[in-house]
Amino acid sequence: MIDRCGVSPSPFLSQRSLVKSGTVWNNLGARGLHVTAVQCKNHAARIRVGKGDRGVTYEQALHPHHIGHRKGWLSQHPCNLKGEEGAADRALEDVFIRRFMFGTFHGCLANEVVIKRRGNLLIVCALMLQKLPPQKFYFLTGYTESLLSHFYKCPVKLEIQTLQKQAVYKYL
Amino acid sequence: SATPDSTEAIDPTAYHYQFQDDPYLSPRTSAESKLYSMSQESGRAAAKYFVDMYPKYFTKDFAEPHIPCLMPASVALSLEEVSEEALKERIGLRKVGAAVEMYDQLVQAGTPISKQMTYDLLDLICFYGDREPAQEGEPEADQTELRRKRGRFHRASDTLRGVWRENNNAERLFRLLPEREARCYSAVIRGMVKHGAFAKAFDMYTDMLNNRLTADVDIFNALILAVPEMREAYTEKVDFITDLLNQMSQQKVQPNLQTFNNVLKVLRRCGALAKSISLQTLSEMKALGIVLTNSPVLPSLCNHQCLETKDMKLGYKVQSLVGVGDNWRLLGDSYQQGMFYYRFFSLLCLMEHVDVVLKWYHQLMPSLYYPNPQGMRDLLQALDTESRLELLPSIWKDVKTLGHDNKSDLVEELLSLMAREKHSPEVQESFADCALDIKAAFDVDRRKPSLEWSPLALGHVTTLLLRAGRIPQACEALLEDFLSQCSGAPTTAVELVKLSAAFCLPATPQLAQRVLLEFDLTEDQRSAGHIANRTRTQTDYWNYWNKYYQ
Repeated sequence: MIDRCGVSPSPFLSQRSLVKSGTVWNNLGARGLHVTAVQCKNHAARIRVGKGDRGVTYEQALHPHHIGHRKGWLSQHPCNLKGEEGAADRALEDVFIRRFMFGTFHGCLANEVVIKRRGNLLIVCALMLQKLPPQKFYFLTGYTESLLSHFYKCPVKLEIQTLQKQAVYKYL
Repeated sequence: SATPDSTEAIDPTAYHYQFQDDPYLSPRTSAESKLYSMSQESGRAAAKYFVDMYPKYFTKDFAEPHIPCLMPASVALSLEEVSEEALKERIGLRKVGAAVEMYDQLVQAGTPISKQMTYDLLDLICFYGDREPAQEGEPEADQTELRRKRGRFHRASDTLRGVWRENNNAERLFRLLPEREARCYSAVIRGMVKHGAFAKAFDMYTDMLNNRLTADVDIFNALILAVPEMREAYTEKVDFITDLLNQMSQQKVQPNLQTFNNVLKVLRRCGALAKSISLQTLSEMKALGIVLTNSPVLPSLCNHQCLETKDMKLGYKVQSLVGVGDNWRLLGDSYQQGMFYYRFFSLLCLMEHVDVVLKWYHQLMPSLYYPNPQGMRDLLQALDTESRLELLPSIWKDVKTLGHDNKSDLVEELLSLMAREKHSPEVQESFADCALDIKAAFDVDRRKPSLEWSPLALGHVTTLLLRAGRIPQACEALLEDFLSQCSGAPTTAVELVKLSAAFCLPATPQLAQRVLLEFDLTEDQRSAGHIANRTRTQTDYWNYWNKYYQ
């Protein structure tokens, strides 16, 4: 018996699903129809309230519906304006840059990386913890700027601010 | 109102723009600034290595228009076929090896190559000494290191220039040329001088004269530069230079700015004899109306001269020249820059009123110049001459930031200046705060080796503290002083500790600990020390009671 057949949830939709699977046939050459119950709950970029021992930054504490109201944007480019193209390319570049920064400055990132585009210039703003001595920061900065410039064929600048420890906004 | 011009000036309170604008990442001393800029350079070199190692990830070219410097090195060449166009491209991109290869292929294929192209190729090879153009970052690092090790300026540039190999491509190409114009000779001679084959350069020059060609001004400039390597004694060098200049006037070649620069450069290495001649040269230059911009030797030479002759106006002129446009590049690397500003600043301290000195101090520091201890001492002297000693605490702050707080003579001079005479109460207060700060700098065990107390310095600190009425700290300082005095006598030290315990001084536990550590004591002396150590808890309890219940 099939309870409710909604649109099959894609993995990127923010709906928690209770998986109740029912295969119609056996394994050989069969495709089962998986049905689930939809639970209308948003789960994207949210840290739920817990015991109160976990410190979260301002960025993490505020939920996505606060973007534009209490939060700013992490990536700024003109491609979402009317008549502009290339939004998908910029999104892909952003993903790559975020992963690159996370890996290169491993353990040092205190908050999400902010990416700003001004004309041809790509500015990557990062908040770092003071885990490395300054000369190592400068080595990694020179390396990142040069490599990303060669990769994206545009000037890339890094703006780094350092903190002693992560700026906790509240404890959840 | 802020006009566009007024917003263009350099911010004197900021560090160089290549550094990140963050207190943790800002360089406070000249050593730090060099370290950070070199780390950044080596990071860029690491990225370049990866780009050249795995070019297939960096070949996608979506820049409009095409940016060749952001492509991996191997992909830069677009024309592959054997043609004159390809040769021109390689010359344009400064690919020495590839250009020579292309030329050889063209000659083998029998394609006619224009004379201009051949001459261009010859120029390229001679300029780079038949090797690939070096990258910007690393050689500079080596250059400055070598400079410091050898201690003299010209040696490092020799090793950097490389060696002009025998029968290299330039000479081969030169011999293959059907007709040799002055331009070819010029290229080869200048290349030889640049890369260290001085004798050959002069041979080539004689060869040229034998072929009845007149040398142009660039050839003479290069030959002048080669003079110091060809003759040993100062007088011989000077004679050789005069000889060359005479030949120049015979061949009716007009000297230009570069000629004079080279003459001055060479004369610098000719010792004291050269001073008078260099002044003569300068006046001749003025007579010929050559504009004194873009002259690399001039800033350091003038600076040196200014300091000798105490000519302030010339100093200001040089400083303003350096500020114009691109002239800051002429100051050379950071060491020379430091020397330039140091000389300028010491001249200022000697000659000018202290307000002007301070204005320049705040303008130069920290954006352009990190003063060394001698520079700080000059500043202290200037302040002393004009009796502006109330500025001493802020100078101490700068000394700490620069990392010169481990130079005992500088700190002692500062302290003695402060303690010399009595001042007004507010000034005394600030001096006492400063003295406490200096005392903290002496005591705290940090990464850097801490200073040793000298009795004189301790005495000054005590005087300053007493004058401001800070008795407990003064007593502490005095006691420490006494303790350091009785270094050989354990009994006196124990007596001292007992005395301080009797007076319930808060410094007792520290003194007791010090005595226990530093002196060889008998058993009862040791127990006395332990009792004194325990006083800590009693005094602490008493203080706590005082604070909260009264």
